[in-house]
Amino acid sequence: MSARQMKLGLFLWATGHHIAAWRHPDAHVTAGIDIDHYIALARTAEAAKFDMVFCEDAAGLREANVQIASQTSRSIGFEPISLLSALAAQTERIGLVSTASTSYNEPYALARMFASLDNLSGGRAGWNLVTSASPIEAANFGATGLRPHADRYERAREFAAVITGLWHRKAAGYDGESFSVRDPLDIPPSPQGAPVMVQAGASDDGKDLAARTADVVFSAAQTFEDAKAFYDDLKGRLAAYGRRPDDVKIMPGVAPMVAATKAEAQAKYDALQELIPDDVGVALLSSYLSISDLGRYPIDGPLPELPESEGMKSRQALVIEQARRDGLTIRELARYFAGARGHWRVVGTAEQIADELQARFEGGAADGFNVMPSWFPGELDAFAALVVPELQRRGLFRKDYEGRTLREHLGLKRPV
Amino acid sequence: MGVLANRQGTQQQRNIQEPCGKRWLAGKWQLGGPLGPVALRKGGPRLVARTAADFRGSRMGRIMHLAVSLDIASATGQTSLTFAEIDGFVRKAEAAGVDMVVISDSGPNGEPSTSPFEATTLIAALATATEKIGLVASASTLAHQPYTLARRFASLDIISHGRTGWNVTTAQNPREAANFSRPEGFSDDDFRRRAREFINIVRLLWISWEHDALLFDKASGRFHDPDKMHLANFTGEFFSVRGPLNVARSPQDRPLLVMSGLAETEFDFASRRADLVLLDKREPSDARAACDEIKRRAYDAGRDPMTIRVLTVADARPERDGGILEALCRSSGCDGIVLAVQPRAAALEDFVERLLPELKRHGFAETQPGKTLRDRLGLGEDGRP
Ligand SMILES: Cc1cc2nc3c(=O)[nH]c(=O)nc-3n(C[C@H](O)[C@H](O)[C@H](O)COP(=O)(O)O)c2cc1C
Repeated sequence: MSARQMKLGLFLWATGHHIAAWRHPDAHVTAGIDIDHYIALARTAEAAKFDMVFCEDAAGLREANVQIASQTSRSIGFEPISLLSALAAQTERIGLVSTASTSYNEPYALARMFASLDNLSGGRAGWNLVTSASPIEAANFGATGLRPHADRYERAREFAAVITGLWHRKAAGYDGESFSVRDPLDIPPSPQGAPVMVQAGASDDGKDLAARTADVVFSAAQTFEDAKAFYDDLKGRLAAYGRRPDDVKIMPGVAPMVAATKAEAQAKYDALQELIPDDVGVALLSSYLSISDLGRYPIDGPLPELPESEGMKSRQALVIEQARRDGLTIRELARYFAGARGHWRVVGTAEQIADELQARFEGGAADGFNVMPSWFPGELDAFAALVVPELQRRGLFRKDYEGRTLREHLGLKRPV
Repeated sequence: MGVLANRQGTQQQRNIQEPCGKRWLAGKWQLGGPLGPVALRKGGPRLVARTAADFRGSRMGRIMHLAVSLDIASATGQTSLTFAEIDGFVRKAEAAGVDMVVISDSGPNGEPSTSPFEATTLIAALATATEKIGLVASASTLAHQPYTLARRFASLDIISHGRTGWNVTTAQNPREAANFSRPEGFSDDDFRRRAREFINIVRLLWISWEHDALLFDKASGRFHDPDKMHLANFTGEFFSVRGPLNVARSPQDRPLLVMSGLAETEFDFASRRADLVLLDKREPSDARAACDEIKRRAYDAGRDPMTIRVLTVADARPERDGGILEALCRSSGCDGIVLAVQPRAAALEDFVERLLPELKRHGFAETQPGKTLRDRLGLGEDGRP
C-alpha cells in the first residue's frame, strides 16, 4: 500500500483542553451532562476518519480546593466506560478508548467491562492503563492514602498480566501478590480479538510497562528533541520483550489552534488565555507538580526547588525543565500550562500545523497524534475542517477507513 | 421533627448525614394512591396507623407494572444474542409499553456464560437507542468499588435521561469472590453487612451535588456553587470514601435502587432503602405475604409505603396466557410482574409477538405519564434519607 500514514486520536476532555475552555462564548458549557454533545463530537471525529476517541479519567475531583474547583468545568462529567458504551451504539467505525485505573479496579471486572465495550462496538475498544497519581482519588478508595509510585506500578504490572491473560484466553486460574482469579473470562472475544492496550506513563517504570504491554503510547512532549528522545527510548525498549518497533504506536498529545491566518489563530489563543483566573492557573500547575502550596511563592518569581514527585514523575520533570529553559515566572508558566497541561501547542494555519505534525511524524518522533482541541466543539470542528484535509492532501492521513476494528485502523496485529 | 424522623435512627443511618430528609417533613410528598389521602398535620406528616391489608389498597383497577428480565449470563453453549437482537427486542418492548427491562448478569456460576456483554455497558448502549423504557442492570458489590459504581449509574441515569436502575442483592453468589481477589470469600453475614454499607455509600454519593449546584456562569467564571457540593466523608466497617461524586446530580436524583434475591432477613434493609423489590419466583400467597411485609416495614421505618414497589417474578413461557398472569399478579398483591425471558432470539420473538399483546389485553403495560423510570412507577423524586 501507500506510504506510512499517521494515526489520529481525539482526546476528549470536559468542555475542552484549555482550562478556561468552558468560558469561551461558543463552548458547550453543559458538556458534562449532555450525551448528545459527545455523540456529536464522536461523529465529527468519525467523519474526519480519526482512529479513535480517547477519554481520560480520574475517580475523584481534579482539585481539592473547592473555590478553585468551582471555577473549572472539570469536577463533573461522565464515567468514561459508560460514555463510550453509549457512543458505541451511535458510531460505526471509530475506536473507543477509555482510561481506567489499576489501583481502584479488579482485573476480572475490568476485563469484563472492556470486553463488553469491545463487543458492543464490533471490535473498537481500547484501555488506557493508568495507576492514578492523585491523593484525591485515593481518598475515595480507603483511608490509607496514595500508594507510592513504585508500589502502584508493581500492582499495574500484575494487573496488566492478569487482564491480558483473561483476554487472550491463557490458562485459567491466577493467584498472585495483589490479585487472584479463578475462572476464565466469561465474555467471548470481539472481532479484534482483544481490546487495544494503551499506556501513558512516562517515568522509567511507566515506559517499561508500556514496552512490555502497550499497543499505543500517549505522551506529552514540548519540543521535537523531547518527543524524539521519548520515541527512541520507548521503541528501544521493545526488543527486550521480543517486540518489533512497529508493534507500538507512539502518539504524543498536540493542542492545535488553527485559523485562516497565523494572526487569527494567535488572537483566538490569546482570547482564551485572558479567561484564566490566576489562582486557577497556579492551582492547576501545582497539581501537576504535586506541590500543594505553590500559591505561597511570589507569582512573578521563579519556580522554587521541588522534591521529586510521588505522583506524575514525568509531567513534573517536563514542567520544571520548561520553566528553567524558558526562564518563566510562576504566572507565565501557569498560563502556558493551562492551555494544554504541558502538551505540545501549535498555533497557526492549516498548512503550518500540518508542517509541524509532518516534521515530527517523518522525523521519527511520532507515529501519530492525540489531538487536544482547546474547546468543544469549535476547535474540533476547525481541525476537522482545515487540518485533516491538508494532511490528506499530503497523503499523510487516510481518506477512508481501511478496516472495521481499532486494531485494523492502527495496523496492529490481532493477539494470538 | 415528626414521628417519622424518630423512627430512622438505626446505627447505619446515623453514619449518613443527608440533607434531603427535609422534603419528607415539609410534607411535599402527596401520600396517596390506594392508601387514600393521608392526614398531613401542620408541622409534619403523620401516617394513620393501618393494617397490612390497607397497604394493598383496592386490588381491582390498580396499575399492574410489567418488567421484562433478561438474564444475559444464562446464555451458555448456543449462540448468544447479538446487540442488534437485544436492541430490537427492547425497542419493541418499549413501543408496547413495557415499564422496564432488567438485565441480569452474574459472574461465572456453574456453566460459563457465552454472553458477549456485561449489563451496565449494555444498558449504556441501549439508553441512546430508546426513549421511554426503564433500563435496570445488575452489578455486583464484589466486582466494583462503591465510588466507581456510583459514578457509573449516575452517568447511566444522565445518559438515559432518568431511566436507569441498579439491581443489587445482599445475598452472596458463593463462587464470585474468587474472581475478585478474595479467594477466602466472605461469610454470608460479612457479605451482607458489606453490601449494605456499599449501598448506603452509593446512595450518599448520588446526592453529592444539589439540584441547582451547577451555575455554568461564563461571565463570572463560576461553574458551580461550591456550597452546593457535599462530601460524603464516610468511614465504615468496610469502606472509607471521601467524595464528592464527580458526576452531576442525575435526573432521578438517584437512579432507581432495585433489590432482588432477598432473604427474609433483608426485608428490613430493603424496606428502608429500595425503590423496587423483585421477589423471587414463589406462590402467589407467599408473594402476597412478602409484599405486605415489605410495605409494612417500610411504613414502620417512616416511609410512605407507596414509595416502594414490589414486583413478583414469573416465567414467560409461551403457553402462558395473559389471563393467568393477570390472575397471578392480582392474587400476589404485588405492583406488577417481572417476566423472565430466555436469552434466545426465538424466545424474544415469541414474547413480543405472542405474549405481549395478550398481556396488554389483560391490563399490563398501560402507558404511564412522565419521563423518568420513577415517574413510570409513580415513585416521585427520591428525597429519602
Ligand atoms: C495523553 C495522556 C493522557 C493521560 N490520561 C490520564 C488519565 O486519564 N488519568 C490519569 O490518572 N492519568 C493520566 N495520564 C497520566 C499518565 O498515564 C501517568 O499515570 C502519569 O504520567 C504518571 O505516571 P508516570 O510517573 O509513569 O509518568 C495521562 C498522560 C498522558 C500523556
